[in-house]
Amino acid sequence: MLSRARLLHNIRMNTLPQSSASSDDLVQQSPAHRAVLNRLQALLPAESVITDAAGLRPYETDGLTAIREMPWVVVLPETEAQVADIVCCCAEYGVPIIPRGAGTGLSGGARPHQEGVVLGLSKMSAILDIDPQNRIAKVQPGVRNLAITQAAQAHGLYYAPDPSSQIACSIGGNVAENAGGVHCLKYGLTVNNVLGARVVMACGEIVELGGALYDNPGPDLLALICGSEGMLGIVTEVTVALLPEPETKAVLLAAFSQVVDAGSAVAAIISAGIIPAGMEMMDQMAVQAAEAFANAGYPLDAEAILIIELDGAAAELATLNSQVTDLLRQHGAYQIDEAHDASAQARLWKGRKSAFPAIGRLSPDYLCMDGTIPRKALPKVLTEIDTISQTFGLAVANVFHAADGNLHPLVLFDANVPGQTDHAMAMGAKILEACVAAGGTVTGEHGVGVEKLDTMCVQFSSEELEQFFRLKAAVDPKALLNPGKGIPTLTRCGELGGMHVHRGRLPFPELERF
Amino acid sequence: MRQNHLFNRRPTVSADRSQDFIEQIKTASGDQKKLAIQGHGSKAKWLPPAKSDDVLALSDHAGILQYEPEELVLTARGGTSLAEINAVLTERQQMIACEPPQLSHDLVNHSSGTDADADTGTLGGAVACGLSGPGRPWLGAIRDAVLGVELINGEGEYLKFGGQVMKNVAGYDVSRLQAGAWGGLGVMSVISLRVQPCFATEQTLHGEMSASQALALCAKLGVRNLPITGTAWIGGQLHIRLAGNDSGLTAASSALAEFGLQDHAAHPDLWRQVRDQGHEFFQKQPTRQRNAQTLWRLVTPPAAAMPDFLSDLNQDALVLWGGGLRWVYHDDAQAVADYSRQVGGWCWAVGETMPIDPMQRQIMVHLASAFDPHGVFACPLNLNLNSALGSA
Repeated sequence: MLSRARLLHNIRMNTLPQSSASSDDLVQQSPAHRAVLNRLQALLPAESVITDAAGLRPYETDGLTAIREMPWVVVLPETEAQVADIVCCCAEYGVPIIPRGAGTGLSGGARPHQEGVVLGLSKMSAILDIDPQNRIAKVQPGVRNLAITQAAQAHGLYYAPDPSSQIACSIGGNVAENAGGVHCLKYGLTVNNVLGARVVMACGEIVELGGALYDNPGPDLLALICGSEGMLGIVTEVTVALLPEPETKAVLLAAFSQVVDAGSAVAAIISAGIIPAGMEMMDQMAVQAAEAFANAGYPLDAEAILIIELDGAAAELATLNSQVTDLLRQHGAYQIDEAHDASAQARLWKGRKSAFPAIGRLSPDYLCMDGTIPRKALPKVLTEIDTISQTFGLAVANVFHAADGNLHPLVLFDANVPGQTDHAMAMGAKILEACVAAGGTVTGEHGVGVEKLDTMCVQFSSEELEQFFRLKAAVDPKALLNPGKGIPTLTRCGELGGMHVHRGRLPFPELERF
Repeated sequence: MRQNHLFNRRPTVSADRSQDFIEQIKTASGDQKKLAIQGHGSKAKWLPPAKSDDVLALSDHAGILQYEPEELVLTARGGTSLAEINAVLTERQQMIACEPPQLSHDLVNHSSGTDADADTGTLGGAVACGLSGPGRPWLGAIRDAVLGVELINGEGEYLKFGGQVMKNVAGYDVSRLQAGAWGGLGVMSVISLRVQPCFATEQTLHGEMSASQALALCAKLGVRNLPITGTAWIGGQLHIRLAGNDSGLTAASSALAEFGLQDHAAHPDLWRQVRDQGHEFFQKQPTRQRNAQTLWRLVTPPAAAMPDFLSDLNQDALVLWGGGLRWVYHDDAQAVADYSRQVGGWCWAVGETMPIDPMQRQIMVHLASAFDPHGVFACPLNLNLNSALGSA
């Protein structure tokens, strides 16, 4: 089992080894660090270069608060030229750069580096253009996700991907993580809604990808940048596609006495050729927690509920609504509530959207996992999660983007009980292994960051990991951008226990075994 | 385990050739030979071929490996024909949303309405060339449909990226990177695609108007919630494809009547013709003399004004994607390049080299060397490190 101490050790192992500088004491830095700091202070206004402990403290972690590290320096550029200058300066001296958006990421992708520069993009927060003619918005990376929709609303348009952190998370971070949300099956993830980006590469050069354009020549670099967790380049401008707001929406809540029935209802709806705008499932523990928190009117006796959002033209929706209702009944829904006005819809969604804080009230701490599985594997994987939960003696609440197979088991634990954090992390890793075994993936939308480095060893072979490293080296040969994230080193995977055996070959034959 | 989900008609699944490909790649690498990855060759004339010593025949490596309609995922070998995939999907009322073009071997002599489409492109070719059909702005591009690939790189390593699930951010998105790479990064042995339900009904409306009126109307309709899945302006007519359920289409077509758009029974094959270049516009020997001979594929912001250098828009332009894709005939390459730069788009004289921004090209070349360090793959984009940077 992987202990927290070991996890932190491994995380450091993936980064630069020697650590001479204490963040509180800048005097003891290497000459290179002193030179970089001088350059950064010359490049940027004084308030945009943070070096004092109190100023650095807010940057020591992101949404994955279990993992913290004080950065060496935080810089807050305001222009693309400044970003490029910072990158050039760091590249010259070999100082790592950790790009950071709003710091809401859930996998530690923005965890600082004690000898590196955190490059925060929060000051680059201008909406540069809302163009209803071409249905695009051109924005700086620090713009909040929801702010794009708010700016586009005047034209009857909106930006579709809506991660649950959308009031706070930034579009630059969304691109880095390829953020999803509850409407992905119908409207896609970030990668499907971004048409262009300007990117500062590790060499300091600026490349412009795409634009208000529906395709581009050559290998799809824009798709590669999406979800690359700040390891391939720093996004300084994003062009997103805007969609017309749906004319009408309906939200249905269906209660089931068996999880399996809810799963088969989901399959039946998709099989009938219907792609709902959103289709969420919650298990009993999640329902009870959410209801106690939000008073959404959820049935407390249900083993599982589905929340389904349908949208479209009014005429189309009426037909869809009755089709879906029939299918839900046929598959064992014993209660169906429909919400047609905005306030009733908001109430039904409120329970789901507050599921995480609701669980936070039930339990001192929780870990949010992010596996994706083929939908058909849901009953099997839920049973396995139940078994894992009993083995580890920690409770799990399940919320599930049922439409696209993205499962968020929440592992409940108490960090004040010695050893329980490690135990919860180990249990989370087991759940992700079950997802991979079911044909899924260790992360659907939260990213690998530092949190899932070890589970990546389960999903990928050594050749595949090496290919990732060669890809990275092709654009960032000095490994300066967000080092130690996203892809585990072969050494790290080799040191772990249960490994992926790829096509019958033993992984890492080149490594010694002890 | 999945028997009741599988398609009824069992299509041909050929022998797994991946091991042969690995051997072929390793041998070629050892001999410093270059391999041209070839499916049906349906897009062979779209780019000047790269110099190669041998062919890696992907079309021998065919077959649908897994298709579960309720999972909305189809997994097939790279050499599987699009025609077969479409036939299997149609049986279950599903489709590849972006409708990848099925092209004849001869781009310019393709006659319309032919049913002999067995070798009009493979799945691997469709992804590699990154071309999408008439619904692109509304239904996504081919890269949006790609969920995972099993790739053989230039070292002969068999690698799996992505998977069969809708959401997956584990590792870099090597799968979608393949879209548009024209085989420069490896052989796509197996591809998993997201598929989607067919629409219950489709309807095409049309109205007479100029190109600029059509662009203005498309922009206006774009901000409204209408079930549009295609637009085509040609010969002074705007055609709009609607798709959805009956009640939705009835409402939409009556809303569009106020713009002079009416139901249109003619040309049931119109969308297929513009998708597959079977339309008269693309024919080498048109009934009327053409004003220019060079065919350009212009990708522009959809609302960008039409170029003013065309002598007869009605004859020389075909405008798709709500204005985002314009096929035009024009012989002054400089004028076309200036125009596309000015509007923020890009242009490509199909059959000639594809223009790629030098900075992007440099990144692509380095990426290609990460996947194919010995330059085994003869990619028509010419991404080989040793030869490409010099010639860019």
